[in-house]
Amino acid sequence: MTEDLLVDSGALRAEVREKYRQVAEAPDASYHFHTGRSLAARLAYERSAVDGLPDSAVESFAGVGNPFSLRSLEPGDCVVDVGSGAGFDSFVASAQVGQAGRVVGVDMTAEMLEKSHKSAASLGLENVEFREGLAEALPVEDGWADVVISNGVINLCPDKRAVLTEIHRVLRPGGVLQFADIANGRPVPEEALRNIDLWTG
Amino acid sequence: MLEDSGFSEVVIGDDVDTFGGATGEDKARTYEVYGYAFLARKPG
Repeated sequence: MTEDLLVDSGALRAEVREKYRQVAEAPDASYHFHTGRSLAARLAYERSAVDGLPDSAVESFAGVGNPFSLRSLEPGDCVVDVGSGAGFDSFVASAQVGQAGRVVGVDMTAEMLEKSHKSAASLGLENVEFREGLAEALPVEDGWADVVISNGVINLCPDKRAVLTEIHRVLRPGGVLQFADIANGRPVPEEALRNIDLWTG
Repeated sequence: MLEDSGFSEVVIGDDVDTFGGATGEDKARTYEVYGYAFLARKPG
């Protein structure tokens, strides 16, 4: 599929990494998207799932929808969070799957990973871990996951088919992909699709 | 694309005004960009 890509994958990845480094380090700065607790409320996350989390676990949340709105996770589920950022959705998932479940968050941005590690430690969570990796090459074994979640990440990946193929690989047969992402009702001109700045801003 | 990638039972949730009130709202309106929740299953 790489022959169909409209932007340079490496350049886009660097741009995305830089944008989300900023969101990790300066969550209250002005971005083209909402962040934090106000965004979680806008996206109809249950207050009970959010209120108990420390600011460090919520303030850099920059999702585009609610991956739990169509289906809650089951206790004991093994979950992969693709593009886990500062860990917000992983922490929501952690509460839903309980101590019998496990959540593996995967992200490519060091500053987000550092933040998620610290928040998990401060919360004393033993069923969540975060790994460095790419959506196109998840550091998860074949068929491990009952559920894969993601939020606002796949749209930032130029080769979406490669990401979906990778998600398919880590899911067990019968496993569920539940994610949130943006979609456009009007076609975006090819010229705009080739403009990396428009992918992240 | 989900079905082309081997998934089935695809469900799409209601649209969410993700960018309303944010600085990216104008651009989002231009292309009618909204957030959606998606559900799909890997056949067992």
